[in-house]
Amino acid sequence: MHELYKLASGIFVWIAILGFAAGMIGRLAHLALTARKKDPVVYQYFSLYYALRSMLHWIIPFASTGMRAHPVITIAAFVFHICLIVTPLFAAAHVILVMESWNVAWWHLPDPAADVMTVLVILGCLFFLIRRIAQEHVRYLSTAGDFVLIALVAAPFVTGFWTYHQWYGYETAGILHMLSGELMLLCLPFTRLFHMALWPFTRGYAGSEFGSLRHARDW
Amino acid sequence: MQSRHKTAARLARLALIALLFTVATVFAQGDITTVEDSGFEKRTRPVVAFEHDAHNQKAEIYDCAVCHHVYENGEKREGQMSVGMECSECHLSENSGPMELTRAYHRMCKTCHLEKNAGPVQCAQCHSRQNAPAK
Repeated sequence: MHELYKLASGIFVWIAILGFAAGMIGRLAHLALTARKKDPVVYQYFSLYYALRSMLHWIIPFASTGMRAHPVITIAAFVFHICLIVTPLFAAAHVILVMESWNVAWWHLPDPAADVMTVLVILGCLFFLIRRIAQEHVRYLSTAGDFVLIALVAAPFVTGFWTYHQWYGYETAGILHMLSGELMLLCLPFTRLFHMALWPFTRGYAGSEFGSLRHARDW
Repeated sequence: MQSRHKTAARLARLALIALLFTVATVFAQGDITTVEDSGFEKRTRPVVAFEHDAHNQKAEIYDCAVCHHVYENGEKREGQMSVGMECSECHLSENSGPMELTRAYHRMCKTCHLEKNAGPVQCAQCHSRQNAPAK
């Protein structure tokens, strides 16, 4: 267990962080270059104003007609994404581990808050899983990879919840928590989870085209 | 005559109280079972069980300065020890939060446990909910 802990808290952390950073930058750069070569129109019509206007309407809950038409998925998606990003960055145990290693610390969540937010992420995963199975038009578009991705995202939260509550086998859960978190980080740039970095560009593109070309709203 | 009796009784009472205090202090020192430091005003995780003597016997630590170290200008002072001092006396400066003290404890325990491949290293292994709960 000690050897596994050392790997999971040592070299694997570096592989995950560097792989994540290099993957994100590399894929964004590749897409930017490909677009310049194959689709230069993207650059010609790009407008920062229309791009930001579109992003703003899609980052505020219910600020688009699409979101107002589907309130349940809007609430689920916003709660899920906020908790998904905020919890790992501000969980007390994570901040303390960073502080231990690098003597850098930032604000952290109270444990009960992180606990509730973890449950919300797990419920969110269940919601998206059920949606993929139950809604016919979503099921039609789903592949096996989509289900694996839901499991990949849920894993660090399920194991974190398990080890935090110190249930049976919590030591194994603790190791699995670290490993699954690192795996998710590493997979972010190379799977559909890449929308984390891509969304401002897809939104920006749509916003620019609708704003400066079609003179219409895209929200 | 009566006042002399009173004085003797008072002295005996004082002696008894002093004796009780001494015995209590000695026993308390010799029987450390948890990690305590007045620097932790508010505990956010369950208290850490720590059988001082049993731990050191098992870990074969006979030099108090291994844990109760003294640092001056970033260098460890060999032959000096800080037994009887609280960790927070050095590891909790006025302008830093309790995280600094937490860091000192975690690094002291975990670094050694990882080096020796023995002892707890994960959060819950020390901060067990079976111990006293967080305050």
